[in-house]
Amino acid sequence: MMSETFTCGDHGALVSYLYDECTPAERRTIAAHLVICGACAEEIVALSATREQLATWTPPDAQLGFTVSAATSKSHVLRPARWWQKSMPGWAQAAAAVFIFGTGLTLGALRGVSQPADSALQRSAARALGSSSAASARNDANAAPVTRADLVALEQRIRSEMSQSHAVSQTVASSPSDERILQRVRTMIDESEQRQRRELALRSAEMVRDFDAQRNVDLTRIERTLGQMDGTTGAEVAQQRQMLNYLMRVSQRGQ
Amino acid sequence: MTLTDDELVARSISGDAESFNELITRWERPIYALAYRVIGREEDARDVCQETFLRAFRALPGFKGEAKFSSWLYRIALNLCRDWIRRQRRAPVVQMPEGIDPSELAAERGPVESIEELVGRRQLSAVVEEAMALLPEEQRTAIILKEYHGLTFQEIADMQGCPLSTVKTRLYQGLTVLRRHLEKSGVGLTKVEGVASSKVAGQITPRLVKR
Repeated sequence: MMSETFTCGDHGALVSYLYDECTPAERRTIAAHLVICGACAEEIVALSATREQLATWTPPDAQLGFTVSAATSKSHVLRPARWWQKSMPGWAQAAAAVFIFGTGLTLGALRGVSQPADSALQRSAARALGSSSAASARNDANAAPVTRADLVALEQRIRSEMSQSHAVSQTVASSPSDERILQRVRTMIDESEQRQRRELALRSAEMVRDFDAQRNVDLTRIERTLGQMDGTTGAEVAQQRQMLNYLMRVSQRGQ
Repeated sequence: MTLTDDELVARSISGDAESFNELITRWERPIYALAYRVIGREEDARDVCQETFLRAFRALPGFKGEAKFSSWLYRIALNLCRDWIRRQRRAPVVQMPEGIDPSELAAERGPVESIEELVGRRQLSAVVEEAMALLPEEQRTAIILKEYHGLTFQEIADMQGCPLSTVKTRLYQGLTVLRRHLEKSGVGLTKVEGVASSKVAGQITPRLVKR
């Protein structure tokens, strides 16, 4: 709590006065001191000026507009999107598509292999594990050994299926007739020309607008400069007169 | 009818998301401004702003209304700013404004503000931002809360967890450092006499004269 008397160097009291956050009595006490103390008065004036300058600092505009949605659960509200929720770039989508397609093709090819080969693999695996169960033993007893011929047949089957799928895709790709292709190319060229025309018109309009804005700026600046030149002299005289009045009054109070 | 913050908070707690959106609309600009001025980076200030409302939304059921909703938000935002500064472990980087383009200025100037005044205000704003970045975090935060958000000494003391006298000292020291820096930059008192002397000449001086 501030006392009724104010002493020089009480910065806390000066700050309270500066921000007008003190009682009327405290305010009167400090104001009375400021009348007789030039140093404190000067400090208050300087700090007030600094506050005025601080008011010029404005943060840049930002796109905010955060909202919560009633449909979403609380745990998802306003949370930045997780990586799997974000849209993937094109190359990643293409890579994923190729990977999935390749995997599917391989699985499909393997599924197409005859059951004996598949069971042969199972049997060989069971044999390798050395299973002691009766079922495994029976399977083992009935198992035919995997020969090189089996593997060659499997390889041929996979190759033939892959070549078939490749041929199908080529057939699909080459199905459009030449006329349709030409028509499509013409359409694309037309669209491109239209885009260029629109862009040219837009650029022209922008240039005209920029030129006009610059002209207005120059005219305004010239006008303001002339006005300021007229007003500067009067303002300086008024300021000096105000300062003289202030000094006169302060000196009279001091006496 | 415009609802108060307390009424919107009560509705939000009862599950009305639109009421919370109204609170966001009211307070996102001040919170963003606070975050930007404290940490000095636009993108990070946006993140802090978003995280502030996320945390507020989650913690809303526990909000008892002992403090003002805005004070509560400010506290959350300041804690996030503090965490950000700790993570950075360096002084905030001030984004200096880009080159001043008169045509842009012409579009945004007010009806009574000349181009020269607007350019001067932009330059002064850049110098103030630079000077603020020089202050220690506590002084900068105290000044921001007082100057730009109008909090009382007591509210700042509660937020900063320090005595009221410490807040006043921080404000005084911070303003003094700023004043010196601005004077060094050529925008000290002499500049103010021409540009922003209304408060000095119109309020303080007459008061000195009267008494």
